[in-house]
Amino acid sequence: MTTVEERQALPQPTRARVLDPAQRRALRQMKLRRAGTYALAIGIAIWILLPIWLIGTMAFSPSDQVYAYPKPVVPVPFSTETMQFFLEYEGIMAATQNSIVVALVTLALSTVIAVPAGYAISRYIFPGRDAFRLGVLAVRAFPIVILAVPLAVTFIQWGMYDEVYTVALMHTALTLPTTILVVSSVFASVPREFEEAARIFGCTPVQAFMRVVLPLVLPGIAAAAIFTFVMSWNEVFAATLLTIRNRTLPALILYTLNKSSIQFQYAGGFFMLVPSLVFIFFIRRYLFNMWGQITK
Amino acid sequence: MGRRRRRNFAPYLLILPSFIYLALFFAWPMFRSLQLAFRRESQILAVYTEIEGGDLAGRLELQTDVAVLNRERREETLPNGRTRPIYWFQIVGENSVGETVEGWVNQRYLFIESRTESETARVVGGEGAHEWTLDYVRRMFNDHNFWRALRTTLLLLVLILPLQFVLAIIMALVLQSQLKGSSILLYIYAIPLGISDLAAGLVWVSIFRQNGFLNTFLTEIGVLDSPYVFLSANNQEWMLAAIVLAEVWRATSIVMVIVVSGLQGIPRDYLEAGEIFGASLWQRLRHIILPLLKPSLQVALILRTILAFQVFAVVVAITGGRVITVLAYETYRWYDPGDSGFNNPNVAAAYAGFIMLISLVIAIFYLRTVRTQEEAARE
Repeated sequence: MTTVEERQALPQPTRARVLDPAQRRALRQMKLRRAGTYALAIGIAIWILLPIWLIGTMAFSPSDQVYAYPKPVVPVPFSTETMQFFLEYEGIMAATQNSIVVALVTLALSTVIAVPAGYAISRYIFPGRDAFRLGVLAVRAFPIVILAVPLAVTFIQWGMYDEVYTVALMHTALTLPTTILVVSSVFASVPREFEEAARIFGCTPVQAFMRVVLPLVLPGIAAAAIFTFVMSWNEVFAATLLTIRNRTLPALILYTLNKSSIQFQYAGGFFMLVPSLVFIFFIRRYLFNMWGQITK
Repeated sequence: MGRRRRRNFAPYLLILPSFIYLALFFAWPMFRSLQLAFRRESQILAVYTEIEGGDLAGRLELQTDVAVLNRERREETLPNGRTRPIYWFQIVGENSVGETVEGWVNQRYLFIESRTESETARVVGGEGAHEWTLDYVRRMFNDHNFWRALRTTLLLLVLILPLQFVLAIIMALVLQSQLKGSSILLYIYAIPLGISDLAAGLVWVSIFRQNGFLNTFLTEIGVLDSPYVFLSANNQEWMLAAIVLAEVWRATSIVMVIVVSGLQGIPRDYLEAGEIFGASLWQRLRHIILPLLKPSLQVALILRTILAFQVFAVVVAITGGRVITVLAYETYRWYDPGDSGFNNPNVAAAYAGFIMLISLVIAIFYLRTVRTQEEAARE
């Protein structure tokens, strides 16, 4: 039985006959290890997906199932009752809208400000470049959300408190360093020669950038922008501190946590993680640009 | 010549917007936070030896009761040319450290029933004053929740980090071993990158709650006869365990991404050489992979450590914030003007400053690591 399997595993079946026992053992070990790796890979995938599946089950079960014990592990009977209850809960739609507005403003601000800086870091050598880059690295590592405390106090003094756009201002400070670094690594991946070639063929620097570089970097910048959106959508601490009536979705859910039913919590938890499921799929290839680069 | 000048000028113009933005929304609030934590802003009444001038006789706090020794009527000319009477009072009272202060003040700083007759008055106004104080910081350190929060934050760090790093390295090695469908695996392993700490907390609440999935599972396989209450104030170990699992579940992906990019930087020859010479996986890991991954692991370690001091919503979701508390939650609680908070931005700023200080120390290590790596890369 084992010999048949081994023969199939080898590219040339005729050579299988001349395997000595040691080789055969090595081969079997290799296959075992391969199978082990697959098992491990699937095991880890289950570890990540199962909790999402479980809360998804709760979000799409009728309310009696949400309170039931033992728990069903599949959403049967399927029902949107729980999700509807959550979405129709007072303030949820407004908060969702706030969250989307904040995330979009953050995305726009952060991209517009970060793209020139990222380009400068990746394309020019200038005095102060290293200092600026190290500064950005340091700011990224800094617990920026904590700065919501002084910002809230300042916004109250300036009469800007409890406005949705102040949350976006805070979130832009949070996402800007990451976006600058990603954008600079995306630009660094486009050879400078492309731009120079365009210049030789008569493009102005701006034309060279718009026609040659921009199309090449656009997917990477889009990925960075999407990640910015997700970061802002997820942020709780600063949003909770900076708003009272105009809460964003996570801030509202956190605020209502102690008074809300488990139906609300499960549906809310699932609702908040849906963007992650969608967006990470599109940006998965760029993740290493985002966090990987240390010495670029 | 013109070209060179433009080249020198352009990059500064390009980084200017981000520089300004970070100055406004990073440097300024940081400075403001220190001000809030170390400076008391108050109104205090300056008392002078003479009417409309003279030397400073001393300062009185608001709401101090004073005796009126003497009064004098003066005229004040209004913009329209008319005049109105203004009284100056010679008062005596005790300042905050119990010294007697005697001198003249304008009527607008006092509450007095009758300007012409009353013998006593109360200080109700003054000028804006700042004083440097350690009161807020002291209040933070004296709060027993501070030490509980610090202990829990550190404990979580110690429990979470090793698990996270082992799991992240395993995940990265799996992704790098060229399995079929590794693109889908990468997607799945990266999903938690986009999951908020609040959502992650709620996910694990659904598992650990009394009528949750863990109890269902344990009863199903016969370990438990009846559901166990994991998340209760008497069961802090289980609460901690739930937080640890939620954090490992949510925040391992970021470490994995850093480790994968580190692995991609290791030349294939090194790994193949190890394999050819018959090194076992463990030997290769121990002698080739881990030493070469050291820079990436350092970066990941530093980032994760700083993030660990911001743990917030996971803890609130799982414990309600009461039973187990962490530094970020205490910051929120001191700030919060609502029913459950203390509405004291100053102490909140002290907490924020404390978290910043710890992070700053860690960040300095981080920058030094990056520096040495860049120098090593250049050589």
